Amino acid sequence: MKDKMQAVLQMLKEQHNVDYADIRINDITQENISTENLKVQQLSTNRTRGYGIRVYLDGSMGFAGSQDFDKMQDTALIALEIAKASRLAQRSPVRLSPKEAIVDHYETKVEIDPLSVSKQDKLDLLFKAEQIMREAAPGLFKTNGSLSFRKEDKTFADTDGSFITQTLYESGGGIEAIAVSKRDMQRRSYPNSARGNYATAGYEFIEQMGLLENAERIAKEAMALLEAEECPSGYFDLVIEPSQLTLQIHESVGHPIELDRVFGYEAGYAGTSFLEPKMAGSFRYGSEHVNIVADATVPGGLGTFGYDDEGIPAQRVPVITEGIFHNFISSRDTASVLDQHSNGTARADGWARIPIVRMTNINLLPGKYELDELIGGVENGLLLSVNKSWSIDDRRVNFQFACELAYEIKDGKLTGKIYKNPIYTGITHEFWGSCDGVANEKYWQMYGTPNCGKGEPGQVAHVGHGSAPARFRNVKVGVADVK
Amino acid sequence: MLSKEQAYAIIDQVVQAAEGVDVRVMVQASGSGLTRFANSEIHQNVFEDSVQVNVNLSQGKKRINFSTAILDEAGLKETVREMVQNLEFLPEGQEEPPLVSEPLLMEIVDFNDELDAACDVYKRAKLVKQCLDMLTPEYKAFGAVSYDTIQMAFGNSKGIKRFARVNSANFSALIADEQGGTGYAEITSNTPQDFDVIAAFERAYDKAKMNQNPMQIEPGAYTVILEQAAVGDILQYMSFIGFSGKSLQNQASFLTGKLGEKVFDEQLTIVDDHTNPNTVSLPFDFEGTPRQKVTIIEKGVAKDVVHDMASAQAAGVESTGHSVNMPHFGGIPLNIVVEGGDKTLEDIVKETDDGVLITRFHYMNPVNPREAMLTALTRDGVFKIKDGKIVGAIKNMRFTDSMLRALNSIEAISSDRVRTRSFFGNYYVPAMKIKDFRFTGKTNA
Repeated sequence: MKDKMQAVLQMLKEQHNVDYADIRINDITQENISTENLKVQQLSTNRTRGYGIRVYLDGSMGFAGSQDFDKMQDTALIALEIAKASRLAQRSPVRLSPKEAIVDHYETKVEIDPLSVSKQDKLDLLFKAEQIMREAAPGLFKTNGSLSFRKEDKTFADTDGSFITQTLYESGGGIEAIAVSKRDMQRRSYPNSARGNYATAGYEFIEQMGLLENAERIAKEAMALLEAEECPSGYFDLVIEPSQLTLQIHESVGHPIELDRVFGYEAGYAGTSFLEPKMAGSFRYGSEHVNIVADATVPGGLGTFGYDDEGIPAQRVPVITEGIFHNFISSRDTASVLDQHSNGTARADGWARIPIVRMTNINLLPGKYELDELIGGVENGLLLSVNKSWSIDDRRVNFQFACELAYEIKDGKLTGKIYKNPIYTGITHEFWGSCDGVANEKYWQMYGTPNCGKGEPGQVAHVGHGSAPARFRNVKVGVADVK
Repeated sequence: MLSKEQAYAIIDQVVQAAEGVDVRVMVQASGSGLTRFANSEIHQNVFEDSVQVNVNLSQGKKRINFSTAILDEAGLKETVREMVQNLEFLPEGQEEPPLVSEPLLMEIVDFNDELDAACDVYKRAKLVKQCLDMLTPEYKAFGAVSYDTIQMAFGNSKGIKRFARVNSANFSALIADEQGGTGYAEITSNTPQDFDVIAAFERAYDKAKMNQNPMQIEPGAYTVILEQAAVGDILQYMSFIGFSGKSLQNQASFLTGKLGEKVFDEQLTIVDDHTNPNTVSLPFDFEGTPRQKVTIIEKGVAKDVVHDMASAQAAGVESTGHSVNMPHFGGIPLNIVVEGGDKTLEDIVKETDDGVLITRFHYMNPVNPREAMLTALTRDGVFKIKDGKIVGAIKNMRFTDSMLRALNSIEAISSDRVRTRSFFGNYYVPAMKIKDFRFTGKTNA
């Protein structure tokens, strides 16, 4: 296959004088298992294999994806024709930032190949977790669980001389307890909502997830939420756990720092960003407690890889340091506009899509506090856990999140009282500016989000976020007081 | 793209290899070209040609599914045999949905050759260029023009066959000035005669020119007029969280316990209707069931929901043909058609003393599905209406509101309906005037 890829690239370069071309082969196997009320709901294995060819001709871009490996040359010529068509409406030729030619192989380190574990063992784990939930809270309306595993083999070759192969593994899953009454439905999830937590890891990640150990707790909390009071509206100090902070980072930091959004590439669909290039190095994004990196190298992160889909090595990039914004995440075509090198975040959703700027692992670095200290500094507030709903405007400024539950904090202590349906809302830089403490590395954990949407045609990226509980002052909670 | 005969041959290979168990096979093929523009130039231009075979095997209540893009006969048969062996040791699922047996054959080719000829990559690029040439230098355009051919072939071990081939084109344009004022328009069509890209671009441009010097308003309850795209946004999320049998069985729907009751204003009638010529859809679902027209809301009364086989079996009814091969959703209505009213959108604006006109929403999500409580921000044009006239632009606002409440406060529904894009297929919806729509947040843009 290497010879075939290189022959096609050579044809594009020598016979058609392209500026640049690359070919990327993806072979992906994904297994999805889910159970509901102690019955199998889904047991599926999906395999897709194909290749995409990207061509730049006179600074214009064309891309074609196909599954027919016998027609790689024809597909390349389709991509070339598309690039020629793009020239009809081209104002300034695209420049790709320079990079080195690399020949290498990268593989996710796994202890247990997740696809080697039997379906029966996986189902047994989910059934056992469901059983614990149902025994702990017989009044539950529904229990469910899910596991997903993925193996992706990638081969990348380009006209610069790179040839990179990667094998990436992912494992993830979660459980849910659902309680209903005549007027209400409440859900508790572990380790997070939206089908749990995901990592680039083997089956050992599932074994260490603690599904069985947490099943009883969430079952009882789901039932308790039915009887809980509605979360009050007003302004409160919040301590936010990583199970919610993950999505806060994702929406209000991860997306705004994507350089393609900043340049308007996504304006017609996913939106833009309030950030501008001139803000790098000076804009106060948050308080001095806020330190955020884009780190594609952190072991286990769902956004961890060896090379991005333009052949750029994975990197750790400071994004916000002591509250000051420093760097965007970029691709070759966006970095060149700023006369920079790509920092390696261009990724494609499979063989049929082009690489675009995607989050890697956007991580809030740990601070110095114990969790008790953060809670101890709150006179009247809430500890928020597990995301339930999310929304943010097209410039990533006005956000609103709902969580599965809020624990009441009074006079520096958790009172044991819980509220249902907590919502909080704010303005991105004001919110991060109100952060006055982040818990230390003991509390730091990563969550993987396998469903980040962007691009046309639509692409789904797998990204990660590490964080520790953090405290935010005087945040608007609820909407019931808006008349 | 595969021919019908090639797709049927794959189905026959799978059915033969799965002898002794029930099998459903869907062969999906698509060819999709999309030309994307930003900052008034083409920046992404792509084509993909894909085929995926989806196989569902069942034995009593045991079910297993696989899909593959690798179509060689030996490999496909080997995978089927492996999955059949897996069935032996698997625990049972919840339902034992029957195989569809009638009609034996459905073949529908609703493919428009003129549209196909009008949408090749050079013609798409020329359309974009034609639009961009209309702009004055202070404006930039962003958007996409796309053309898709979708082909689905289905068969099962009862011997039925299904085949459908459709094509459609989409265009969206967002036009922005240097101060951030934007306008937006989109069209979706399955004929070249309706695919008036230039007219859509002009609408977006006119709106961008109106969207200048926006004023700030405060959160609170306002009379709003939701243009068709905004109505389509809301109905997409309502369909996902509340219009399926599965959502009712999960007691997660806002219609839980309310079938037969009046839940919305009596002006509102919502039908899922793939036979409406303004929708682009497929006449059967992922289980081979012929798609039914389903009246979901009739004059404000909750009448029915859509089903796949499993949710229908659990409810003791027939499937309505709305499987999307996602068992956790059950069925999803893909072709929502909302009955129009008797006044045009223009007349509704003229009759409004004090209101807010909304173009569309951004990043909607349910906050509380049982209450149909949704939140989103406005986008690409919010305007103040005073004494029947648009008097200025408004900065974007966030709403958080229960649609059970909002759609009980409908003051008018427009007679002019448009096709709006949905997650799959498209809707055909009017504009709506709603009283006391709750804005809960504001932005500075």
